[in-house]
Amino acid sequence: MSRVSPDQDPFRAIADPNRRRMLDHMLSGERTVGELAGILGIAQPSVSQHMAVLRLAGLVDERHEGRRTFYAVRGAELQGVADWIAKYEAFWEDRLDALEAHLARQKQ
Amino acid sequence: MRDILVVREVAYPREMVWAALTEGGQLAAWLMPNDFQPKVGHRFTFTTKPAPGFDGVVRCEVLELRPPERVAFSWKGGPLDTVVSFDLAETAAGTRITLCHAGFAGLSNLIPRVVLGFGWKSLLGRKLVHHLGARDHGA
Repeated sequence: MSRVSPDQDPFRAIADPNRRRMLDHMLSGERTVGELAGILGIAQPSVSQHMAVLRLAGLVDERHEGRRTFYAVRGAELQGVADWIAKYEAFWEDRLDALEAHLARQKQ
Repeated sequence: MRDILVVREVAYPREMVWAALTEGGQLAAWLMPNDFQPKVGHRFTFTTKPAPGFDGVVRCEVLELRPPERVAFSWKGGPLDTVVSFDLAETAAGTRITLCHAGFAGLSNLIPRVVLGFGWKSLLGRKLVHHLGARDHGA
């Protein structure tokens, strides 16, 4: 099994609020770095850096057209993240079962 | 902002449940190994198995402590910067435990849009929307 380096980790990539906002805007269609910089009010070099993290994590695809580069979200990669959060509710149900079992032992 | 909410009624007295939630040794028995101390502002960790995107350490700080009714602590691990709280109410049969795991805002707002945007009709999608809709503060 290959190890995921921190740079390629999609969870780490979406931990940043600006990158989440960028993804959010790319969900409605392809965007350029310049467009995102304008929409979000962030400097272009910062948007470029964030985009590099998203690309390394495999969350976005790029497409060149002339001198412009358009970026779009790769949805399938985000499903892993969605799956992870959905598991948290199951985690707590499971832990509360364990709490009940623990209380039963304490009672004895 | 949407939270995870799990309500559980148990047939044990509230003081007993409170002790299970606020004594480190007891917490370890049913939740995870930890260095919790029942003191507001105390920073502690829960440790578990690492997973992709998660080093296995949940970093926490006690935010609220109101014996024997409510304890809340921050819960930071992997992509999460969230808050977990337990509220205990006495009932005729014992104690009602209300667990709230709050602060998924950024992620949960994004993910349903992905699910909708890509037309995913998977069970996961439906389950996720249901799960994230468990509690809606309307924020």
